[in-house]
Amino acid sequence: MFRQEWLWAVFCLPAAVGLLAPMCPRPRAILGAMLAGVFATAFCGFRLIGAVFMKGPVSAASEWLRLDALSAWHLAILLIVFLMSSLYAWVYFEEERRAGRLSLKSVRLFAGLWCGALSAMALVLISNNLAIMWVGIEATTLLTAFLICVHVTRESLEAMWKYILICSIGVAFAFMGTLLAAASAQGLEGGTRQALLWTRLLEGAAQLDPRLMKAAFLFLLVGYGTKAGLAPMHSWLPDAHSQAPAPVSAIFSGFMLNTALYCIIRYVPVVEAATGGSGWCLRLLAGFGVFSILVGAAFIVFQKDLKRLLAYCSVEHLGIITLGFGLGGFGIFAALFHTLNHSLCKTLSFFAAGRLGQWFGSHDMEKMKGSCRVSRVWGVGLFGSLLALIGVAPFALFMSELQILKAALDHGAIVSLVLFLAGAGVVFIGMLARAIPLMWGKTSDAVSPVRAQFLERLVVAVPLIVLLALGLWMPLPLRAAIEAAARIVDPGTAAVSSALLAGGAP
Amino acid sequence: MNTWIEIAMLALLLSDMALLGLSVLSTSIGVVAFQGVLLGGFALLAQHDVLSPRLLAIAVGTVVLKGGVYPYLLRRAIQEAGIRREIQPFVGYVPSVLAGVVMMGIAVWLGHSLPLRADLPLVVPASLMTLFTGLFLVTARKTALIQCLGYLVLENGIYTFGVAAVGEIPALVELGLLLDAFVAVLVMGIAIYRINREFDHIEADRLNVLKG
Repeated sequence: MFRQEWLWAVFCLPAAVGLLAPMCPRPRAILGAMLAGVFATAFCGFRLIGAVFMKGPVSAASEWLRLDALSAWHLAILLIVFLMSSLYAWVYFEEERRAGRLSLKSVRLFAGLWCGALSAMALVLISNNLAIMWVGIEATTLLTAFLICVHVTRESLEAMWKYILICSIGVAFAFMGTLLAAASAQGLEGGTRQALLWTRLLEGAAQLDPRLMKAAFLFLLVGYGTKAGLAPMHSWLPDAHSQAPAPVSAIFSGFMLNTALYCIIRYVPVVEAATGGSGWCLRLLAGFGVFSILVGAAFIVFQKDLKRLLAYCSVEHLGIITLGFGLGGFGIFAALFHTLNHSLCKTLSFFAAGRLGQWFGSHDMEKMKGSCRVSRVWGVGLFGSLLALIGVAPFALFMSELQILKAALDHGAIVSLVLFLAGAGVVFIGMLARAIPLMWGKTSDAVSPVRAQFLERLVVAVPLIVLLALGLWMPLPLRAAIEAAARIVDPGTAAVSSALLAGGAP
Repeated sequence: MNTWIEIAMLALLLSDMALLGLSVLSTSIGVVAFQGVLLGGFALLAQHDVLSPRLLAIAVGTVVLKGGVYPYLLRRAIQEAGIRREIQPFVGYVPSVLAGVVMMGIAVWLGHSLPLRADLPLVVPASLMTLFTGLFLVTARKTALIQCLGYLVLENGIYTFGVAAVGEIPALVELGLLLDAFVAVLVMGIAIYRINREFDHIEADRLNVLKG
């Protein structure tokens, strides 16, 4: 019984804090209240996630809310990203306030929208009703729009406009897809009122009209794909990521993109069952994945701005994750593992870019050279996360990319394999060529060394250590959790062979 | 009943073509308001069951929001931004209308290949055509205001499709949808206001600092 209340709390708590926190009189109090709210939500969330992995799915509100292994896995990543980003936001905005770049009004706006965004993303993950899931995504878009221009400049307004318009249209397409899915389910027992529930849709998947379901998936893929930053619908992404304040870029890249991808993945088992297991939707996913990898790689080479570089890197990594899902079987396991690794790593790299950017006064990579001499902590954080992002062993991203390669090989998808390797190779060279001068280049004299606080050391050290540890050894409970999540996407996923799980027990 | 629905769908198609050919912003807003009222009536007609309070509430909500509130917000944005100029197309009006004819062809073809509402042959093509028109307005016109208008037209298309092809979806969901669209328009309105204040114009094609 009490588990149902936790489910409500994950969604309602941050919403309430988002409404109340801006009423505090001082900026520190507002940010403190926000931090407390995020911690409380995380506490409820992790209790719930533990319960789901031990005892099975939790549902409430006559099945409208439901948390199963797949959504619990994503919820865990969401909470980790938000916890880290909220701690970082505390440090980041402290500096902004000292520099007089942040008004009380902006802090209020930020705290309200930040908690609202957490609530909306949690709603996406816990809703079993596909229309409510859509409402959550739309709310995410609208709430995060003004987070981009916490600092009002011409560039940030431009980025915000592109973000609202392109994503609103994408989300409208996704709604068209949701409607088509509902239309294909009209023959099911209980009518459309029940059929929009994901569990019902999956039960009756064999009776769905395959033509309508295919049309629905096309709309959903393009619609949610826009929000997930899959190429060629990614054009809003580099602008929004580069203009938003660093904590916001971190949640955008660290989890918002994955939320949209999660929505697509929810439909995969239904469409697969409706089309008789033909692999049609998986091939589409793999195609979009490979294309995103290539587009991301091509643009990474020409970037001058660090945050834009990281944004294109997100396009590439979302492509890798999508490719993993598209390969099916072991690929799904690898994609889910890669989701965690990428979120941890990208969050850290945006933190470092933002913090260093505050001292250099720019995100231009020419001006940010020699970051190691300005701040050892953040220099190491940036360099370490960039190394992990390009797939250097023994970081966990290397392992999950290797697993996806293995899945492609098993699947006989040689073209995807070659294109993925080519894209990853270009990214490796392109980013390493930037990362080395960023770390050790000659610093301009205007910037003096800065000491990092304890909190900053913590935010840098924890993700790096976790990424290293996961690359060397995967704990059994983690492996079981990912396997449980993967089985929801593809029920046929057999227990994963331990050959490619570093240190995994047989 | 079906005759009325067909007439409403014809009116929707015609209003789409009008939007593609119109050059005056305030008239375009009027046409979109007309579409909103049309859709409210359509919501009443399209459901097979008798007049329920829920249906009535949705129809009234649609008319008030789509026919009244959004056009009002847009008109106010025009006044505040002090726009007197015309729509300023990337694609001229005649090519726009020609593109409309092509889109109509695609919409009819797609509508007939989807197995939905065979009793009302115009509904699915009209909703798809409205969706395409919205998309076209967003991409082929320059100012942020007309892009917002295009988004509304696109929403109208999806709404038509939802009401006609899907039938009954839970009231809470519909409420969420209406509310979402409302907030979307509000957010866009505030964005336009801020852009106007910062740039002294709202021409989206001049929002071009960020590249690559």
